[in-house]
Amino acid sequence: MATSIRSELQSSESYQELSDRLRFLRQNVSSVVPKIPGLPYLYISPFYLLFSVFLLFPTLYTIYLSVFSYEGPAGSEYIVSIQAWIFELTIPKISNLEFVGLAHYESLIFSDSVFHLSLFNTGFIFLIQVPLMVILALAVAIVLDSKFIRAKGLWRTLIALPVATGMVAYSTVFLLLFEGDVGMINQVLMSVGLDAVPWLTDRWMARITLVIAITWRWMGYNMIILLAGLQTIPQQLYEAAEIDGATMWQKFRFVTVPQLRPVLLFVIVSSTIGTFKLFAEPFVITGGGPANATLTVVQYIYRQAFVQLNLGYASAVTVCLVVIVSAISIVQVRRGGAAQ
Amino acid sequence: MAQIELTKLRKEFSTEDEYIVAVEDMDLQIEDGEFLVFVGPSGCGKTTTLRCIAGLETATDGQITFDDVDVTDQRARDRDVAMVFQNYALYPHLSVEDNIGFPLRISTKLSTEEIDERVIETAELLGIEELLKQKPKELSGGQQQRVALGRAIIRDPEVFLMDEPLSNLDAKLRSDMRTELQELQQQLDVTTVYVTHDQTEAMAMGDRIAIMDDGMLQQVGTADDVYRQPTNEFVAGFIGSPNINLFTAEVEGETLRGPAGFTYSLDDPSMVEGRERVRVGIRPEDLYVASDGSVPSEINVVEHMGNENFLYAEMGDVELTVRSGSQIRPEENSTVIFGFDEEDLYLFDATTKESIKTKTGETALEHEQFEQAQQ
Repeated sequence: MATSIRSELQSSESYQELSDRLRFLRQNVSSVVPKIPGLPYLYISPFYLLFSVFLLFPTLYTIYLSVFSYEGPAGSEYIVSIQAWIFELTIPKISNLEFVGLAHYESLIFSDSVFHLSLFNTGFIFLIQVPLMVILALAVAIVLDSKFIRAKGLWRTLIALPVATGMVAYSTVFLLLFEGDVGMINQVLMSVGLDAVPWLTDRWMARITLVIAITWRWMGYNMIILLAGLQTIPQQLYEAAEIDGATMWQKFRFVTVPQLRPVLLFVIVSSTIGTFKLFAEPFVITGGGPANATLTVVQYIYRQAFVQLNLGYASAVTVCLVVIVSAISIVQVRRGGAAQ
Repeated sequence: MAQIELTKLRKEFSTEDEYIVAVEDMDLQIEDGEFLVFVGPSGCGKTTTLRCIAGLETATDGQITFDDVDVTDQRARDRDVAMVFQNYALYPHLSVEDNIGFPLRISTKLSTEEIDERVIETAELLGIEELLKQKPKELSGGQQQRVALGRAIIRDPEVFLMDEPLSNLDAKLRSDMRTELQELQQQLDVTTVYVTHDQTEAMAMGDRIAIMDDGMLQQVGTADDVYRQPTNEFVAGFIGSPNINLFTAEVEGETLRGPAGFTYSLDDPSMVEGRERVRVGIRPEDLYVASDGSVPSEINVVEHMGNENFLYAEMGDVELTVRSGSQIRPEENSTVIFGFDEEDLYLFDATTKESIKTKTGETALEHEQFEQAQQ
């Protein structure tokens, strides 16, 4: 209806005349206005300004901070102060710092057992969660891509829906589901005569609880990406493989996986980075417990920085985390991209 | 090698709001070692028929047998067919070598060494042995085509299926590959079913040609058969280049009256007896300049091809094409009268479009030579 009205409107003479006059006007204006050199740079400058203030500066300052010890706020001290006629430029000192060199790195690498534990916790969650979620997402995507499923759009939306939930909100729901004997999961288990599972109080079970929560939240998101990837694989490749005598599994192995490789790589790398940045879920669901068994690296950074106000030390941990995640991602990209 | 038989083959496609019969009531026997070409306009069901033979589509109804074995419900991979796709469908991540060797690796127990040997043999046959280490995207269209062929022939299949394999190539390469494909097919002696929309390709390559329109098989026969004895107007119009000239004529006793003063008295009026009108067909090569002819027309365009001329003319509102010797050079916009021999005349029923009379005479060239010899 709307399109028919629009097409009728667009075919009317007065509309065409008007749009022609507008076009001539535009052409006249652009031929009269002189070319201003460097104008395009002005147009793209907002990004660089925001990037500099909110990303580049904090990043560099973090690296800078990691070789200092934070001694409290700076008060009225300043780094530079220039006075010229009536103008005055003052760059105040952000904080009161004491240079410690690589001492933070030394202690966190060689003696900080809590940091080591948080690294182990994060690594454990990464090793279980990423493969589990990617395999699950791929399996669901393949099922949704197949011919025999009805109401694909509905399933796709339902499965991808968790990604729309707020981090803290869904974590709170998981906390309520898994909390001790009153949580719904244990209630259900006990009602069918099974023992309650110490979801949050056992070290290993607490880590598994986090794995379940993150997988629930992110599986649908990755499934959508993999499904989009699956849909770009030309159907004829499957037909050629069928003619060549391939079984279902061989088609998956020799057509789907190699064709999906770049998409799989993206999903794996982005999930890896996501797992290493894990914070809200352990913060809300387990609080890092029991006995720091679910303390993640980012949670440890948070504690150091904002609970104990060791900003320098927290920055050093951050730098370490970036190095570790970068190293893993580079290995993944190298290995995953090698066959391309 | 195998003999293929299609019995009452039917294929329907249905979506939520549409229902299409792609192939209807197809009966066809393809002989062992034969090169059969399906030809027809797009959407006529030729590719669907091929895909049914391949096993990529399941027949809605009817039966497909290979050497009297019913394969109708068999999966493609169990049918021992090889197929060349229009866009080649090479595996982009595999090298040429691995592409060609893929079917053997998947469906045979040959050792890697034996497979490599067969790959090299096949590559040599197709002249692509220097490309073995390359990836498909590094190859030209013609080279990719050869790789696709290699992947098909390496298995030594029972049946060879080709879905418009040459349509993505440029004209020169297409005619080269045409000859090469024919040679290859003769050498391998494998039953081949080939689909094309190009009637020239069909005429040049097929042992027999199956012409399809609107899901129905119109006619099957040799190039000569379908050219000289078309079963209906569609076949007559589809086969032959340039296209046959067709128009409607009123029947008055033994005289046919067409547009713009076309009048022709039939030697044998019995075939139009009881009819009010018929469709008349005359091949462009059967028209010749004759002052006492019955086809008055105004010349629009003359195309000089060197060895022959194509004259595009109008007879009333009917467009005519005439293929003449290069010595015949009428002025554009001049009026020329063409004649034809009754033995070259085609007549079709005005409503059913079935043929009433087909060509019985020799071809035009032979006719000229015959006349020259007589003088």
